[in-house]
Amino acid sequence: MSGKNVKAKASGLTEVFMKINGREYRGEVEPRTLLVYFLRDELNLTGTHVGCDTGHCGACTVVMDGKAVKSCMVLAVRAEGAEILTVEGLADDDRLHPVQVAFTENHGLQCGFCTAGLLLSTLTLLRRNPHPTEEEIRRGIEGNLCRCTGYVNVVKSIRAAADSMAKQEVKGWS
Amino acid sequence: MIPRRFDYYSPGSLQEAIQLLRQNGEAKVLAGGQSLLPLMKLRLAAPRALVDISKLADLSYVRDEGDYLAIGALVTHDAVEHNGTIKDRFTLMSDAVARIGDQQVRNLGTIGGSVCHGDPAADLPTALLVAEARFALEGEGGKRIVPAREFFVDIFTTAIGHDEILTEVQVPHLPPGSGSAYIKHSLRESDFAVANVGTVVTVEGDGKTCKEARVGFGSAGPTPLRAASAEQYLRGRPLDKETIAEAAERATEGANPPSDVRGSREYRLKMIKVLTQRSLGLALSRAGLTGSGAER
Amino acid sequence: MELSVILEQTVDEPKGRVEDRRLLTGKGRFVDDLKIEGQAYMGIVRSMYAHARIKRIDLSTLRSSPDFIAALTGEDLLTEGVATVSQNQWPPQKPAKRYHLAVGKVRFVGEPVAAILVRRKNALEDLIEQVGVDYEPLPAVTTIEESKKGTTLVFEDWRDNVSQSADQKWGRAESAIASAPNVIRAKLGIARQESAPLEPHSVLARYDRGRDLYEVFATVQSVHGLREQLSSELQVPEEKFHVKVMDMGGGFGSKGAQSYPEPLLACLFSRRTGLPVKWTATRTEEFLEAATGRDEYCDITLACDKEGRVVALKANLECDAGVTGTQNHMSQLSMWTMLGGYRIPNVDVQLRVYATNKMPMGPVRGAGAPEGTYFIERAMTIMAEKIGIDPLELRRRNLAPRPGQWGGGGPAPGMELIDALVKESRYQELLKWKSEVNSRFARQGPSKSNVVVGLGVSFRGGAGGDFDWSEESGESESGSGQWPTSEGEGAGDWRRSEAEDAPSPSWVDSRGEGDTPTLDFTSEYARVTLDRSGRATVYTGSSPHGQGEETSFAQLASEELGTPLGDVSVVWGDTDLVPAGIGTFGSRSAATGGSAVVDACRKIKSQLFGGVATITGVDAKFLSIRKGRFSSSAQTQKPLPTLADVMEMMGVTEVSTESYFRLSSLDYAGGAHLCAITLDPELGAVKVVKYVVVEDCGRIINKTIVEGQLHGGVLHAIGGSLFEKLAYDDQGNLLTSTMMDYCIPTALDSLEVEVFHRGSPSTATLDGVKGVGESGTNVGYAAVMNAINDALAQVRPGARIDVAPATPDAISAAIAAVG
Repeated sequence: MSGKNVKAKASGLTEVFMKINGREYRGEVEPRTLLVYFLRDELNLTGTHVGCDTGHCGACTVVMDGKAVKSCMVLAVRAEGAEILTVEGLADDDRLHPVQVAFTENHGLQCGFCTAGLLLSTLTLLRRNPHPTEEEIRRGIEGNLCRCTGYVNVVKSIRAAADSMAKQEVKGWS
Repeated sequence: MIPRRFDYYSPGSLQEAIQLLRQNGEAKVLAGGQSLLPLMKLRLAAPRALVDISKLADLSYVRDEGDYLAIGALVTHDAVEHNGTIKDRFTLMSDAVARIGDQQVRNLGTIGGSVCHGDPAADLPTALLVAEARFALEGEGGKRIVPAREFFVDIFTTAIGHDEILTEVQVPHLPPGSGSAYIKHSLRESDFAVANVGTVVTVEGDGKTCKEARVGFGSAGPTPLRAASAEQYLRGRPLDKETIAEAAERATEGANPPSDVRGSREYRLKMIKVLTQRSLGLALSRAGLTGSGAER
Repeated sequence: MELSVILEQTVDEPKGRVEDRRLLTGKGRFVDDLKIEGQAYMGIVRSMYAHARIKRIDLSTLRSSPDFIAALTGEDLLTEGVATVSQNQWPPQKPAKRYHLAVGKVRFVGEPVAAILVRRKNALEDLIEQVGVDYEPLPAVTTIEESKKGTTLVFEDWRDNVSQSADQKWGRAESAIASAPNVIRAKLGIARQESAPLEPHSVLARYDRGRDLYEVFATVQSVHGLREQLSSELQVPEEKFHVKVMDMGGGFGSKGAQSYPEPLLACLFSRRTGLPVKWTATRTEEFLEAATGRDEYCDITLACDKEGRVVALKANLECDAGVTGTQNHMSQLSMWTMLGGYRIPNVDVQLRVYATNKMPMGPVRGAGAPEGTYFIERAMTIMAEKIGIDPLELRRRNLAPRPGQWGGGGPAPGMELIDALVKESRYQELLKWKSEVNSRFARQGPSKSNVVVGLGVSFRGGAGGDFDWSEESGESESGSGQWPTSEGEGAGDWRRSEAEDAPSPSWVDSRGEGDTPTLDFTSEYARVTLDRSGRATVYTGSSPHGQGEETSFAQLASEELGTPLGDVSVVWGDTDLVPAGIGTFGSRSAATGGSAVVDACRKIKSQLFGGVATITGVDAKFLSIRKGRFSSSAQTQKPLPTLADVMEMMGVTEVSTESYFRLSSLDYAGGAHLCAITLDPELGAVKVVKYVVVEDCGRIINKTIVEGQLHGGVLHAIGGSLFEKLAYDDQGNLLTSTMMDYCIPTALDSLEVEVFHRGSPSTATLDGVKGVGESGTNVGYAAVMNAINDALAQVRPGARIDVAPATPDAISAAIAAVG
């Protein structure tokens, strides 16, 4: 993990750089600025959502240095130098990622508020475990709460995503 | 949702981190942040400074040191969960980390962070107490090793000095003929425990007499505790359904669980017994034995 | 009664919804995503006490901060002439004087006491902490028991703490019970629970000083509802408010009827400062303030004859409504739901709704129907056990013969649903499996691998099955608090689409003759336009937030107008674009909103076909339209004109019609559910292992969407039966104010819910739909609780748990309580 050593005063702003969805971003944050607010408020990447206060709902999930993390439980200064993938970075221009396709084809979303986090948890789950069992799927998304779907079609979507990712030559989709 | 203000430092070395702690009386160490940040967001904790050690790469390793396994303090729960050696030799630790929070939390949360947080309801402190782990601390005054038994002092309070950093968790290898297990009971899988019990059993060469038993529980006092009475009872006795049940009855000695929204005191006391029974049975089965009805 | 199986859909269901793409790519526009340049941030100072006098509010420290802009207290609002918090009076409830910011007194922990406006978001909580409030604590009323005593009054201008009372009596219940061979009594209940949508409440308001108007983006299930509330509370004409919502992260009732202070406060701040004002609740604030539900208890006595036919029901219903909410019909709906499903000749039900020092109560998915269904369905299963017959058989013997007061036009599907449940759930196999597992348990005793199986069923006939025997028995006393029935004219009938003799629903000619009709919960607004190229736009008063109407209404319009799905767009959530509407809640959008869409489409066709008839002489009844082209099933002398031709003749470039469609009666989906659980008796831990739904939502527009609603609804009921509870200490402090402590189900707690469709189209709605959004939750609680109790009976006969949630602790205690 790279990133320079940061010293930041409470009352001041500190500069952070990070690579988000393949692009370099720079911002100024207080030490206490959470990564999720940096993304949403400073960078206008509003696809990542805030659903709770205590890191339970998972709506803020992003991929940081290859791992799914809750961006409300990461300080922006801590993410200095990191490589981040948010929901905005999943599709390739107009071409939806197989995970996104699977979710729309299988009604894996209703209101859409938890969806960004779920997609990214799904992506990291499938990267590590391309053929998960139902139990492994449910365990993998345990940290993503959904109040609309009852998770039935979410699980179905993830299975479909696993199938389609396995079938496709997923170059660049890793 | 937004913490109170604090100074933030991300030192490049352990020594620098220690120095920063010494200079800032109100600083706290930040590792994975999965326990500390939620408290800070609710403003239940408001340290004036954070010393972020999460990028100190040389604190993340798993090494077999002969008679113990050395786990660097920054090893994440996810890494522990997927470590084959730990799964084979310290199954109770594998059991424990698998139940910590959820995948996202396990991706960032560290063993050192969990231990230093000192939450009696958490999974690793209990498991490590039972594993008789030792914690390597380093501070201005040098290095020292503190056994788990002495480390957890009070609720959210450990023996670590203000300027000390936990660098390594040392888990002594279990003797041959041992099996271990950790069971957590909670409302939903990812919740804090209503009751959690870890056990180790070591069986004699005859395959059924208990050479040593360790029983530890959390969520029933200011720190995780060992059930000495239950352990003593089993020593020298054959391990079977009856003796395990009897040990379970004794397991609540010294337990003082709270009543809260997750469960009443009476219920928690009952659960300690049930989990002790099941954990001992599971540990025994992992010791490679099938006793008369002892394996469940 | 002949009932048909699921109807063939006439429009292909699209794969994926119209709304999906933006939601999947992070391009949704939820209120907190929105920004107006220069916006300021609002924060709320909330009461620490459940009941206290406010002695002093100290804002002095605040004022010296460079981030501070302005503050408001209750006194300021009084000076501004702001009215009290809206309270609907259907059914009648005691007027509760509540203020957007507390005046003189606080009445629940979390009640807003002051509001502040700051420049930077990061400074908000810092400054909230600096507001000092001195309270003089008063005794808090935290339980129904305390409320009943009346020693402390929640509202001093009330004589007691009773907010509503309603009684239903017909026949002679007391004597029927006394002489009945089979009588059961149970104390049932569901604890206080809430909607907990993933998206917290949020508002962004901007007062335009130049134009004297308010632009308000808010998380609401009805923009028109909020507009009305703001208007009456701020005492400003409605047309000054332009209320909008685009995407919304769930509501489940909590973003519906309740008048929350924040939108009004944001408007006020914006008016005072000229700045746009943003506010978003933290999850803690959601728990403290969002209108909650359930918290209803029923002491029920059910009596049956020898054959198990119900002869009487007596019940005391009690509900803890907190400080009482804007909309408080839920417990009365419980009462009607409890009484409406079966033939019950003698009834004596008393309902009392109590005020306490807790946050207000409001609609929460099902809004009284889950509670009422739970009460009657649990009682029926207890009765079945007592008599010793199969629980489904007992239902069969008691189905109401015809639709009644709550009835929709459709025939009661009860028998068919129950039969289908037996078939689709493989009921006999389940009984066998249960028997095998439970005998093994009986032999081997409890351990981790030995669990007990319990099966539970629940049934609701839907509005079509609800029945009021008082009409037949002729002995009714009209109860107090009678629910006002909707007075519609004529039934919609989706099969009789273009028939000349179709009764006219209550609507107004779109060319403006007559007064604009008012809308209420039995009606909805739609406007549809069709342009010369055959593209259509639907403007709806519905407000989808996950239910998929952006897709399903497009399907309806596509079906009616023959326009390809991709050429239909659906517009909602904007009082500028949609002049009227009721909104999305109460399982009404596809049924009521959909009917309005169909009505407006048919009026378009009527106008166009009229035009074609004029030009060609062909009778309108032979005409149809597809992809913007007319065709005739009868011979035509002249060639048929194009759409553009007809519009030119009409002198328009597009045809636009409106519908204020009113249903003759409401119609809701019925359902029969089966739940199978395993219980680990030592832990008291329950796992739901199988769940089968047979539902009748009438005509299905989009099967995937319907099933999704049922999946979600059922998990709500599972969560409510196993985990969810808003817990308080004896001072009225909320102990469950985070998502750690208030447990909604995770993916590990859910399972594959199997859904099967039966039934017949509604004859009350124009599109044949019966509202299904809440159905899963309505029927689900009883299925789960019955299953748990069935399992308990295996472990310890006589052990029962009748108040949800059945947590492991409660189950363990229930077992221990018996011998």
